[in-house]
Parts: sequence; C-alpha cells; structure tokens
Amino acid sequence: MIIDHPLLGPRDAAEFVYLGDAALIDRPDWQADDAMEQFHSYGYLRDNPAGQHQELWYHEQGDRSWLVVTRNTVTHEITAVELARDVARKRGRGK
Amino acid sequence: MSQKNRIKGGLIDRSKEIKFRFNDKWFRGHPGDTLASALLANDQLLVGRSFKYHRPRGVFTDGSEEPNALVHLRDGAYQEPNTRATMVELFDGLNATSQNHRGSLEYDLLAVNDFFSPFLSAGFYYKTFMWPKAFWEKLYEPIIRSAAGLGRLSMKDDPDKYDKGFLHCDLLVIGAGPSGLMAALTAARAGARVILADEDFRPGGRLNSETLELGGMSGTDWAAETAAELASMDNVRLMPRTTVYGAYDHGIYGALERCTDHLADGGGKPRQVLWRIYSKRAVLAAGATERPIAFGNNDRPGIMLAGAVRSYANRYAVTPGKHVAVFTNNDNGWRTAADLVAKGLEVPVIVDSRDKPAPIDLPGVRHIAGEAVMNTIGRKGVKSITLTNGKVFPVDALAVSGGWNPNVHLTCHQRGRPTWRDDLCAFVPGGDLPVGMAVAGAANGSMTLAAALAEGQAQATAQLDAFGIKTKAADLPQAEDEPREAAAFWHVRQSKHRAWVDRQNDVTVKDIKLANTEGFRSVELLKRYTTMGMATDQGKTSNIAGLAILAEERGKTIPEVGTTIFRPPYTPVPIGALAGRARGKDFRPYRLTPSHKWAEENGASFVTVGNWLRAEWYTRPGEKGWRDSVDREARAARTSVGICDVTTLGKIDIQGKDAGAFLDKVYANTFSTLKVGRVRYGLMLREDGICYDDGTTARMGENHYVMTTTTANAVTVFRRLEFARQCLWPDMDVHLISTTDGWAQFAVAGPKSRDLLRKVIDADHDISNEAFPFMACGHVTVCGGTTARLFRISFSGEMAYEIAVPARFGNSMMAVLNEAGKEFNAAPYGTEALGVMRIEKGHCTGNELNGQTTAHNIGLGKMVSQKKECIGQVLAQRPELTREDAVRLVGFRPVDRDKKLIAGSHFLNKHAPSDMEHDQGWMTSVAYSPNLGHHIGLGFIKSGHERMGEIVRAVSPVHGTEMEVEIVSAHFVDPEGERLRG
Amino acid sequence: MADFTLTSEPPLKGFDHSFGDTRLHAPADLAIVSIALPLGAEDAALKAFRSAFDADLPAPGQSVMGKDDTRLVRLGPDQAFAIFTRATPDAEPHVQGLLNGAAYTTDQTDVWSGLMLDGPLARTALERICPIDLHPDAFAEGAAARTVMEHLGVLILRTGPTAYLLLSASSSAGSFLHAVETSLLNVT
Repeated sequence: MIIDHPLLGPRDAAEFVYLGDAALIDRPDWQADDAMEQFHSYGYLRDNPAGQHQELWYHEQGDRSWLVVTRNTVTHEITAVELARDVARKRGRGK
Repeated sequence: MSQKNRIKGGLIDRSKEIKFRFNDKWFRGHPGDTLASALLANDQLLVGRSFKYHRPRGVFTDGSEEPNALVHLRDGAYQEPNTRATMVELFDGLNATSQNHRGSLEYDLLAVNDFFSPFLSAGFYYKTFMWPKAFWEKLYEPIIRSAAGLGRLSMKDDPDKYDKGFLHCDLLVIGAGPSGLMAALTAARAGARVILADEDFRPGGRLNSETLELGGMSGTDWAAETAAELASMDNVRLMPRTTVYGAYDHGIYGALERCTDHLADGGGKPRQVLWRIYSKRAVLAAGATERPIAFGNNDRPGIMLAGAVRSYANRYAVTPGKHVAVFTNNDNGWRTAADLVAKGLEVPVIVDSRDKPAPIDLPGVRHIAGEAVMNTIGRKGVKSITLTNGKVFPVDALAVSGGWNPNVHLTCHQRGRPTWRDDLCAFVPGGDLPVGMAVAGAANGSMTLAAALAEGQAQATAQLDAFGIKTKAADLPQAEDEPREAAAFWHVRQSKHRAWVDRQNDVTVKDIKLANTEGFRSVELLKRYTTMGMATDQGKTSNIAGLAILAEERGKTIPEVGTTIFRPPYTPVPIGALAGRARGKDFRPYRLTPSHKWAEENGASFVTVGNWLRAEWYTRPGEKGWRDSVDREARAARTSVGICDVTTLGKIDIQGKDAGAFLDKVYANTFSTLKVGRVRYGLMLREDGICYDDGTTARMGENHYVMTTTTANAVTVFRRLEFARQCLWPDMDVHLISTTDGWAQFAVAGPKSRDLLRKVIDADHDISNEAFPFMACGHVTVCGGTTARLFRISFSGEMAYEIAVPARFGNSMMAVLNEAGKEFNAAPYGTEALGVMRIEKGHCTGNELNGQTTAHNIGLGKMVSQKKECIGQVLAQRPELTREDAVRLVGFRPVDRDKKLIAGSHFLNKHAPSDMEHDQGWMTSVAYSPNLGHHIGLGFIKSGHERMGEIVRAVSPVHGTEMEVEIVSAHFVDPEGERLRG
Repeated sequence: MADFTLTSEPPLKGFDHSFGDTRLHAPADLAIVSIALPLGAEDAALKAFRSAFDADLPAPGQSVMGKDDTRLVRLGPDQAFAIFTRATPDAEPHVQGLLNGAAYTTDQTDVWSGLMLDGPLARTALERICPIDLHPDAFAEGAAARTVMEHLGVLILRTGPTAYLLLSASSSAGSFLHAVETSLLNVT
C-alpha cells in the first residue's frame, strides 16, 4: 500500500506502523464518574467496519508523525490522510 | 547428433553454435534458441515423465505456460528443479536433466503406474490410504512421497545470489507484444517515465512467432525497431526477461528479473532480482494463451499447441516432425498449417471441428470438416492419429488449437472477476480491475493485430491523460485484422481413451466427470479434489477446458460455473528471490555496542538481544565454563568494581516547557517534581493497567529530561510517547528524539566504583557522596575535558554509577575504565552477571514485566499516582487487578541449598495436588548467586508478601522436576539499600 | 592521578572505497544537531534560525545550505537537523549558542553514521535498497527523506547531481555499509 503523507508525499506502507481505530485519540476523562466504564470501552471495544475506516498509522521509518488515514477496509482505497495532531486538536484535545 | 529438425529461416544466429547437455548427452543449438527449441531441433521429443502416471511427455508450448517440459537445470548445489525448458535461453555448456522417472527417461520403472491408471483416478489417495491408520506415516506417505513430485532439490545451500529493488514509473507496461510495444511507445514519446517488462528475452511477443506484416515491414522487424527506439530513450526502462507476477494495492507490482540465468557464467552477480514497481498507472498487455482440446492420448510427445508449432517454425526454425497434422476449432489453426506449408513441411491433414468451408485455401492440405481427432497411437512420440470418422493418418506430430484465453490473471489479483465472451469462448477482464490498471490487446480480448495496436495506443493515451500527460496522436502502423473466428469445442466425446486436461497434474476428462459425480461440483472443490490447475503451471492451458467439461456435466454455462481465483504469482518465483540477500549472517542487520571491539579483544562471548550483540561474559584464562566467568564477574562487582556496557538501553531526549507534565502522564509516578540534577525510577503502564516498561529518567535541566527504557522496548516506548504527544496531548510543548546510539554508557558498580571514577573524571567535578549522592545526575568531563554525563544509579544494588561519553569514545572509554580499574581488580562484566546481580537485588526485567503483571503484582502498587492523570491509572484499579490475594513478586531459595531452581516452575502448596486449580504462581527468573553460594529465584506467588518463610513446592512438569522452596524477600543482597547510598 | 586519553573511533572511520567512478566514503567529522521548534514560539525560533544560519528553514523533506557550510534539513513540522563539519564533541553547545535559547537542541552526531555516495552508479545502486523515488524530477538536489533500507532507518539527502549523503544509526553502521557495498557490487 501507499500512504500519501500530507507533508512528505506518497510513501510505502512499509515505512509505517499500524495502530488501529482513530477513536484511540478520544481518550476519556480520568476524573469522570464513570471513568472505569469509559476506559473499558476505550480500551476494548472497537467498531470493525467493512468499508470506510479512520485509523492511526505511525510513520516510524520517516518523520515520526502519527497520521489519521481514512481507508476503505474492503478495497484499501485511501481517501484522506491527516496529521493526527491536527485531528486531535479538532476533536478538542489540548494539554 | 545433427539438428535434424532444424528448418530454414528463424531468429536464431546460425553463425554461432552452442553446445549443451541433456541427460549427459551433448547437443548443439544456436543463440536465440531456448532449451525447448534446441531439444526439438535435435529430435529429442521426449523430455520428461508425467507427475502421476509417468507418461512420456514432450514440449507442449513455447512459453511460460509449459506444463510438461520441466527439467533440472545446472548441477550440484546450483541445480534448479522444475525449470520450464521453453523459458530457458540456451547458453554454452548448459546442463539439463529430465525429471520424475526411476531409471532412465526412456525406460522409467514407474511407468507401471500408467497400467494401473484405472485405480489412480481423482481422489485415489483419499479413498485408498485410509486404513490401517498406522500405515499412513510409516508406509503410505513415504512411498507416495518418493514416487510423486516432479524435480528434486539439490538438498544443498543455494550458492546463487539474489537481490531486490525498487522502481518507480508513470506507466508500467506489462508485456512487449504489439499492444504493449505500442502502449510503451505512445507513453515514452509523450515524455512519461515508462517501464516495459516482458518475460521473454526478445521483445515482440507473438510478432516474433508469426508471419504478420505491419507498417510495411515484418512484425519481427517492427518489434525490433520499436524496442530499439524505446531502449534509446532516457525515460524508458526496457526490462526483458522480467515477469510481472503480481498486482498489489495502489499501483504496486511485483516483478522477477532473470539477470544471469541465460549466461554460462553469471560473474558473481545476482542471478535474479525481485523488483517492487511503484506505478502511477499500468497497461496490462499480457497477451493470450492457447488452449488445447481434450481427446484420447492427447499427451504424447509431438502433440503441441498449434501456436507453439508456428512459433517454433517461424522464430526458432524448428519443427517437431516432417508430417504435421493440425486439429483445430478455430481459424488460428489454419495459420499454423499455412506457415508450415510455407516452410516446405508436409501437412497431411487439417481436422476442423467446425462443419464449414476452409477459411483459407491451402493447396495440398487435406481438410476434414466437422470431425475431430479421437485417439493417437505411439508411445514416446506420435505415429498416427485416428479421427472420429475412423480414418487413420500416419503423422509424426500434431498441432492442436482449441482457441485462445486472454491472460487475465493480473486483473484478478485484487479479487476482480473476469467476464465471459461468447464470441471468443473465453474469459476477458471484468470491470473490477486493480485501480490504475487498463488492459490492451489480446489480454483484453482484442485478438487481432490491428485491434491490439490501436488498443495499446488508446489505453496508454487514456492512462497518461488521467494524470495530465498529453500524448501526441501518432500514426498507427498499418496492420490487418487476421481471421480469428472460433467455435466452442472442448473435448472429443467419442474418445474412449484417457484424454488429458491438466497435463502437469495428470488430470483427465474422466477425473473431472468423476469429481462431479461424487459431488465436488463447485469449481473450487473440483480444483482441490482433482488437483486440476494446482501444479506449477497453475492450469494455464487446462483450467478453462476443465471448467467447460464441468459446466457440460452440470448442464450449466461456463460463466455460471465460474472460475477459481487467480492469485499471485503469475509464474513461479524462487524462494531465493523472495529472500533476496537476507540470508545467513545477513538475514537481519546487527547493532554493535560502542565497546564491541574491546570486548572482542578481551575474551567476550556475545549474545543476541534484539538486533544487538552484547557481551554476555568475558572469559579469562583458566576458566572452564561460562559459570566460572559469570561468578567471578558478579563477585568482582560486589567486592571491588565491575564495568558493563549498558548502551543498549533506550535513551530518549525529552525537552520542552511541558516536559515534566508530559512525563507525569506517561509514567505511573510523578516526574514534574523531580529536582534538576536528580534521577528517578519510573514505571510505565499500558492503558489497560498492566506494566509496560521501566527505567530511570534524569532531569538534566529545567526543560530537559533524559529517559532510559529497557533495551527491548526502546523503539515501542518512543512510539508510545509520540502517540501521547501528538494524539492525546497535542498542545504540550514537548519534543522527543532518540539518543540511544549517541552515548556510550557504562555501569561502574561496586564499592570501588567511586575510586575508579575519580581517576577518570576530571578533578574539578566533585563526585563525593555528599556532592553527588545516590540518584544524582549531571554533566562532567573525563580524561581532560571530554564531555560526559554521570548518573548515580544502580541496577546491581551496589554503590554504582553510569557514565556516558559520546559514542565515538566508547571503545576507548571501556579500555580506560578497565585500565584505571586495574589497581582495584576491576572486571568487565556481561549480561549474565548483570542478570545475576539484578536477581540478587530483586529488580524486574522482561521476565517479570511480561505483559501480564501489574504494579500491584510487583509490589509497586502505591507508585501508581491517583493524584494526577496518567496512562493506565484508571484500568489498573480494576478489582480483579488489585485483589488482596493477587500474586506478588518475592524471592525463593531451595530448601536443599544444593538444588538448582528452574525458571517457569509453578508453585503449589505443600500437600496440594499438582494441577492448575491449585496453582499458586510461577518462577520468573533464577540464577546461581556466587555471593550467597546457592541458587536463588524470583517469582510471583499468591499473597507472597505475607508468606515469608513458608515452604512450597516448585513443580516443572516440562522438566519432570519438583522441589521444595522457601519464600523469602526478593532482596537477597543488602535489603536495606545501604550499599547504594554508600 | 594517572592520565588517560580517549580516542575517537566512529564506526566507519576512514572508510573510502571506489567502485569504478563511484566513490563511497565516510565523511570525517560530520556533526549533526537536531533542532526542535518550541510550540507556540515557532516564529521566534525561525527568526533565530535565520540570523544563526543566514538561511530560512525549508519545507519538510527539503534542505538548504546555510552559512559556514551548514546543511539545514527540515524533517518535520517542528524538527530540523543542522549538519556541518566539526571535529570536537561540542556540536550541540555550538548550535545552541547560535540559536541563543530560541529552540531546543540535541546532539545527534554520534547517533548517526554518515556515508557519502557519489558517482554514476549511485542511483542504480540505491535502487536495490531505497524505496524512495530518486529520479531527479522526484528527488531534486537538496531533497531529504527519512526512509527504511534493509530494515534500517536512513536519512537520505541528495547533495549533488550524483551525490547522496546517507545517515543511518551508528550502532548498525556495519550492516548499513554492507548493504550499500553489496548494492554497488551487484550493479557494477
């Protein structure tokens, strides 16, 4: 596969390490009343769609950036690649 | 032997003669020959024996689809089995031997199988070798194994070299026939970066095999001219002898280039190169493969595909015989007859299954319409053919054409399905091609020359247009559409004799019918039950006929029955090529510690730790075994001073205004409160609350920390930190970079460590216990001004330091430390002594932090801060993980002190049964403690911290051992930690 | 106190070998310092950068030559390398002195091992190990990329028409040298 890095252009997937669902960005609040339940879902429950999927890839043999790759799990078509840092900020993560 | 079957013309160089061997007999051929054409030229029609029945077989095709002419090529360790003679370029001294016979090729003892053929039908093994059960392994399988199979491996290491590589292009053109050449030419002239790959050594595809004209010249000349133009262009890479074997995601193609296979001496260069080709777009112009018709005894040497006969006559100037009959269901067979006649050969009869007039007028050739060949007579060759009308013709060869199948294979490598075209009686590429691929020419069902050229040009134009390269409308060379009418005709029903469908796996029409009768009706089941299409040729000449027969039996159409799935590789790829150069000691890269050279010179043995080679101990004269060395090293560190290269531990430089706050989040304990110039032990959890890694982190400045990780987790800790930094807390000002390789770091451990370091560290740095206490860190200089970092940390439990210098000085620093330590009897120590001392001290490593244990288990539950947010903190509090009776890390010693403990033993209470239900825990690490004089161990046992002094049993069913052990503190040495602080 | 002297022995010290007209050598005294731009203070850092090196930090994947023959490589949004020649092990304080606290610096000199590959065979040899497209249209002079060759992380820089600087981890320098040498031998 080829991942079109937003800063560096197309790179072979061999340069990357796969993590999984980009929902891992949405880490729950540790102080919430139901923190245990939320962390349980966060840690163990994932959607497994046949189709479009947002997932985290790490450019380990490259610029060390984490990317959010939108990939069709059936066809492997990649329709979007974003810096995970930008996505995390958009989703309201900060310090 | 003279080349008695050599005829006039051809694309061979008659001015040069090549000598080669087949079954230890010398023959002659010419440059331009393949092994197959040269064998035919020498009237060596018998080339091998068939897989199951050991039937005599000869050359059947002229290309990579060859099912029968498989030989051993070269000899000794270089021997390669199952090499297709049709793909082997002749070279001087070539040595080939035939395969799959016991005794000589002419008199194969296993040919007896052929007489037992009524018993050897599809599913024979499954039905026959069922009982008694015990016979399978001892009797049946060994016999079948020795009788079956094709070529033999040399059973020696392959001495050939292989390599891999990466290529990039705008347009990859697969196949250099008329369509591919036209596509490549169109793209190349437009300035695109083009790769043109073809499995043949001569570009041109079928143009070299036919007598067609285009652009006012012979097809061969046009191909040569076009290839020459392409070769002269900087933006084109012409790759003959290169098979594109697989189509992968996002325009990536796999290709195998045979670089030196055609040379007598490869000059030590890689024999083959496996390429990964990155293409923006691709044009598949892989052509088509002719298919045979099934009739009785249709497998004899001398029976060949009509297109192959034409190819041998036109390109190689060879004929399988002087009297060649033709059996066809389409116009194409007529071309063979015409070309043979033009070469002055006799074509006694052309049998056309279609009841229609001759498409071309061939004086002197008898045309029999509406009939078929029903049987052939002969043994190691053809003597005569018998037609369905009973007529017998004496011939010495037979050319068969059952139509052509477009080579759709690569269009299906991403689960694409081909579609059926009735007019061609063949599958053509479907609509679901791999992204970026277009198909042109015969591969797309455009079976005539003019259509192939036009489509090659059109597809290249469209492909380049898609990413903005404009092509100029070039004139297509003038060419004609040759007649190509065909009618479906798969097998001759009237045949009473066995009619082969899959020649390589010996599958007959009867086998397919039987499979259907027995219920194996799906194509996928048919394939596996009969093994049709499962040989090295992957059924290139047999699959469609097999499907047609199945469809007929089931009363369905071929598209209704469907095809099996085409998967890479298109043709076999040697394992050696897939391995490339990664073999033997080059299987993977290795990493050396900075003091590697010194260690080598000083008796070190090395152990592989990940990619690292680390000194495990340093043998001194007189030491008889590794224990002597390790005991001495561990004792030296406890009594005077030891020196160990610990560079392999991961070092991560962490800087930023939020560096402290960041560490608080990734470590279970707190680091923002750590004072500058101090070090702290840190424990890292996974998000599920399980321990992940541990190490020390030093605060070198207000915004500057240096983290150490375990050797094993250096890469993944870095990855997790980047995840935390970018994905979880993106607004923190924190920056990470690895410095693992940058600093040569040495543990200097033992009561004399400070005395030793005082000799090396420049005098203006005060390293007294007051100025530089336990867990201090700082910048120092050594040996007269060289920058260094000093850490007062201890893995051994002794008063100890770690000192780091820029890696370039590492080897020298190891020598200096040992030289300076001489007066203290300093000893370098390796990973084994390191392990002994950490077990003596009860420190964890990967044995304890094994991905199953928590901070609670290792006795550090209180370290997981609940006052600040950190990874793993919430799920670490799950009730199951914090049970009071959870296993705890403690020490163990054998009740009988002479006994040796065994890591992996499980603990059981004294009188409890030895089963999992009563399991109390397990032993993680054991060592002989030279300081205590007996074996010691670490392990996890339920409520271990409350069971000091209790005797339990350590049981290892794997070793068949059981012994009593006493639960003790994990801190065998200096439990109060006084030495550390000394 | 007895006097002890440390000797500098970088892993490929002095390596210099030619394959026809193509030369492979380990440049002497190659110093590397990583520069991280502080979050929220990037502009000040870039300004300090300009005055320190007399050059603007290029886009990720590119490098430029700054003053005193310092090659400045942008590796990512907030990270760059300064590569220059310096024998003494004080490259980091030197660069930090130039930047005057406007960016975080880490010495990378001994982390990496450099190989300079220059000559007509350079690209052909690299084809055997480098997945990056090195065609001049795709990888112009000054281009830089971190990638993987023979399982090893490599920073490749095109420094001239046929010249490439290859940086790989110093601990595995021997394996990487073997990989490049094998490639050259395989294509000569």
